[in-house]
Amino acid sequence: MAAIPKMPRSLNRTSSLATVALVVAALIALAKPALAHHSVPVNFDQSKEITISGTLTEAKWINPHSRFRIDVKQDDGKTVEWLVEMGAVNTMRRAGFEIEKFVVGDTLTIIGWPGRGRDRSMLLRTAVLKDGTRLTP
Amino acid sequence: MRCGVLALACLISITTVARAQQRPDVSGNFMLNGGKTTFGEWHLTEAGERRFKAYDFKKDDPALKCIGTSWTRVWLNPNVLVKITQNPNDIRLQYEWMDIDRRIPLVEPTMARVKRSVPIPNMPGLGTSVAWYDGDALVIETRDIEPGYVSTMQEWAGLPQSRMMRTIERLSLANPNLLSIQITHVDPANYRDPLPVTITYPRSKFDLMHYGCDPKDAQITEPNK
Repeated sequence: MAAIPKMPRSLNRTSSLATVALVVAALIALAKPALAHHSVPVNFDQSKEITISGTLTEAKWINPHSRFRIDVKQDDGKTVEWLVEMGAVNTMRRAGFEIEKFVVGDTLTIIGWPGRGRDRSMLLRTAVLKDGTRLTP
Repeated sequence: MRCGVLALACLISITTVARAQQRPDVSGNFMLNGGKTTFGEWHLTEAGERRFKAYDFKKDDPALKCIGTSWTRVWLNPNVLVKITQNPNDIRLQYEWMDIDRRIPLVEPTMARVKRSVPIPNMPGLGTSVAWYDGDALVIETRDIEPGYVSTMQEWAGLPQSRMMRTIERLSLANPNLLSIQITHVDPANYRDPLPVTITYPRSKFDLMHYGCDPKDAQITEPNK
């Protein structure tokens, strides 16, 4: 039985709804195993949107998939790591995504789709920098 | 005698010009981003069904080792550029995905078994190819394929291919800005009927970029703590 992902502190206002959404996502993932890597609909639940906020600890701009690691403080005070996946760095650059604006140690908010059957993983749809700038690939 | 040689030279020249005029222009940069992909129905043999069911995306996907397993899989990757260059004697397709550089000799179809492309390094699933023109299409025939997967994506993930597989790709322009790739897979070891796949690639304003896939970065990753 996969653990149900815990929501970060930034989700207090919508935590109940988000928790229910993640429970549903986890159950779906258990009922229907993912079929493929490198496939968004299989690996991420596009019907649900979640938001996390935390400290950027790693930014890897690579192919085939760029990724962030973000430390997120939970309601119980415990800090956990979230993995945020994105497209290939080539894709991100072509989309005009300003990758130089992401600095390790900065606070970052990520809005995206939760992973299926993978705790604390998500696909980036929008990033909100500490100055409020919103970036969407 | 001289008259005969002259006539032959003229005939060859006219034939060459006519063939050059017939040659469809599929050169340029193209990228799959919102194009349409269609898989025909697949009718697997018992062996094919077993292989399809046994596929495990967490360990069987060759892309986890930066390897393209079939030309269909290569074409299926979205948001990466393909640059096509038509030369007098060969065709060059540079796929940004995995930095695959495909050079295919142009031959008469009857010579297809004689002069084939050099295999792509470390990607035995891609076999060897030859190309020729047929009407408005560039045709690429591939064989000498190692067992692997036609696709590792979406609901087609795990569709198998055997050494018996032969693929025919027909590249043509559906309109000046849309490349159509019609692929037919013939593999009697795994499929009762040929498996057709159609993928469309819009023309792209972007240039080719280096991909630089590293197997340690291509793995499925989890949060650390």
